[in-house]
Amino acid sequence: MLLQINYKSGKPVYLQVVDQIKAAAASGALKPGEALPCIRPLAEELRVNRNTIAKAYSELESIGVIETLPGKGCFLKENHSPLRKEVRRKMLIEEIDQAIVQAHHLQVPRDEFLQLVQERIETLEEKRRAYENLNVEKRED
Amino acid sequence: MSSPTPAIEIQNLKYAYGRAEAVNDLNLSVQRGRCYGLFGRNGAGKTTTMKCLLNLLRPQSGQVRVFGLDPAKHEVEVKRRLAYVPDQVAFYPWMTVRETLDYLASFRDRWNAMTEQSLLERFRLNPAQKTAGLSKGQRTQVALIAAVCPETELLVLDEPTSGLDPIVRREFIETVIGAYQEGDPGNRTILVSTHLIAEFEGLIDEFTIVDGGQSVLTLQADEARDRYHKIRARFPHTPPEIDLSHALRVKKTGRELELIVNGGGPELLERIERQNPESLTTESLTLEEIFVATLQA
Repeated sequence: MLLQINYKSGKPVYLQVVDQIKAAAASGALKPGEALPCIRPLAEELRVNRNTIAKAYSELESIGVIETLPGKGCFLKENHSPLRKEVRRKMLIEEIDQAIVQAHHLQVPRDEFLQLVQERIETLEEKRRAYENLNVEKRED
Repeated sequence: MSSPTPAIEIQNLKYAYGRAEAVNDLNLSVQRGRCYGLFGRNGAGKTTTMKCLLNLLRPQSGQVRVFGLDPAKHEVEVKRRLAYVPDQVAFYPWMTVRETLDYLASFRDRWNAMTEQSLLERFRLNPAQKTAGLSKGQRTQVALIAAVCPETELLVLDEPTSGLDPIVRREFIETVIGAYQEGDPGNRTILVSTHLIAEFEGLIDEFTIVDGGQSVLTLQADEARDRYHKIRARFPHTPPEIDLSHALRVKKTGRELELIVNGGGPELLERIERQNPESLTTESLTLEEIFVATLQA
């Protein structure tokens, strides 16, 4: 899994790590049960503060994306959010609202925006299928 | 809830070499477990400030505290709890690398021999070599080993990577993150002065920009990148009149407009957008760009 920090995005560094790992999990680049890189080598490689990576991992753990097995490391969990449905919906609504505001500022009209959402969902699903096929081929080898 | 004593507390520090004021009313506070950057141009007062922390210089006025202690009165206790890598590293030239490390270790309560071994290998240093024959980069590497092995609570780095090649600089920073921070995460404090800001960008939690011996700007790194933005707009014709009084810097070239803002980015973006630009982009400034923008404003 490749992570990349962009200091020009204005997003806190730990959140960039959180979001990229969430994205890798959603696309299938990272699979349930698979190990995440350990904190120290990842921090060294990205040349970011060790505590920033630790903060990202503890955030991912608190929202149920990863779990830490003492002495073994961090692993991606099965996709079961511990949060109630209303809470999950509310979290998503906040993100959608932000994207809508952004669309307004970038002069992207409503229909085009909705179409883009469709396209992005399909792209993500395609990616996931590609990772799955890759796995099937590996098993057949 | 009372917060624990900061690792470093500097209040109204003043120091002058003869009539030349090096530090003039400097304030800063470093919480434990943080990596704090002291950014400034050459001669801004960074080294003088650090020397006051180490009791290599006595403050002429103001107060300096390390873990709540006055370095002048509790010199041994303060030095026991910190390690220092200066910008100019000097060793006894007749000693080998091995003898130098043993000599430096003899002053310390603790010395992690495993860390020492792995860093000697990582830096490909020959323990039998006399320090007189070390390159500048190798000298800094030996100093870094000597600073990391005692596993102190505070690491003070004064321009540690200036004049070193990119590989050595990279390894230096990786060692600070790995070997030093990993030992007791959350309880290892770093104060680093540098003008090579980009390299330390990911390590810095909080920073102070000093200029002319004074603190000009103190911010959390994430907050700084959230506040400082560069906005670029291109219009079909000459840029229209827009109220840009909020911008830190304005550059107009032909149909293009480039602005640097400190806060208020979204509002300004909206105002520009109403003028129907051909293109409009915005990005955060890196810490180095913030440094330049602050000192040129």
